[in-house]
Amino acid sequence: MDCGTCETAGPIQVMQPEVIDVALTISDKAQTMLADAFGDDRSMALLVGVLSGGCSGYMYDLQIVEDTDQSCQEIVINGFRVLVPNASSHLLDGIEIDYVDRLMGGGFKINNPNAESSCGCGESFA
Amino acid sequence: MSVASYTDGHLSVWRGRDVLSFIDGLSTNLVVDLVEGQCKHTTFTTSTAKVIDRVMLFHMGAFVACVSHGPHWDALLTHVTPRILGQDVSIMDATTSNDFYVGFNHQNKYNVNYSSKDGITIGSSIDGYEMIVASKGTPIEVDSNWADFDEWRIIHCVPWPGQEITSKHHALASGLSQDVHPAKGCYIGQEVLTRMISRGKQGRKLVSLSNDQAKPSEVTTKGSTHSLSIVRM
Repeated sequence: MDCGTCETAGPIQVMQPEVIDVALTISDKAQTMLADAFGDDRSMALLVGVLSGGCSGYMYDLQIVEDTDQSCQEIVINGFRVLVPNASSHLLDGIEIDYVDRLMGGGFKINNPNAESSCGCGESFA
Repeated sequence: MSVASYTDGHLSVWRGRDVLSFIDGLSTNLVVDLVEGQCKHTTFTTSTAKVIDRVMLFHMGAFVACVSHGPHWDALLTHVTPRILGQDVSIMDATTSNDFYVGFNHQNKYNVNYSSKDGITIGSSIDGYEMIVASKGTPIEVDSNWADFDEWRIIHCVPWPGQEITSKHHALASGLSQDVHPAKGCYIGQEVLTRMISRGKQGRKLVSLSNDQAKPSEVTTKGSTHSLSIVRM
């Protein structure tokens, strides 16, 4: 094995999932927490993505960003900008962004109708 | 060292800045810390911890080379590709450019660093054999056959894909406990494996038994005097 032989290898065709126009909702509690996080600055956005991994295969990835280099859909709800990467749109259509207020395991929570199962901590789903 | 040809070997080339974290999130061993010059086994598992395939990863600098078992490749690819999503990961098949061999019957001292010279890359397995990947046409002296390697595996209780490492069993029953890192983050199948380890109950285990002791229904590799079996604990 050397770099030369590997350069001749052709890429494997990866099935690209269909990009879906995502509809999502944000609960009142989550909107209150977002208002606390953002303040009056509405230039920032909540990026809701999905990464591979976690106990169930996919993990939510929530970030507060100004912009991203990922190809995203922008959804504005009550003035809050939410960015959803097109690559994971098929996994996020119909989600509700909620906030759970408790000492352990609290924080933003995604309720996802596409998830067949999720792990105990709620960060991973399948 | 005895060398046997591994005709079912498969080589894929994984590129992109997210490759190691991607594999780390989908397999049992800690590989996110792998650096150029190192190789390591890891095992991809389902959410019920059943094995999809055990692979050996070689960090080649510009890419990660993944030696896996050819008959398991489609299942592995089906498992990983839907999870690439927006991550910087691309996979190429380089199997036809290489030949595969195993080295055994020697004083193998496990070394995380592989050697690579004149188109021949040799990675040391934690199980005591060596995985040899040679560019197509590179002469390698083969002085042993697969039956000899099976006899060696039976003596040393070393599992192999397609024999012990199959989708019928979880990683611990398949004898892959050395691939299951105790303290890495979540991965698919981690909850099941961690629960088995913490409770000391894994249901089945890989053992080497004499042929007259082994139950035919549990034998995974039969040798001349002994066999590998996955038995109830």
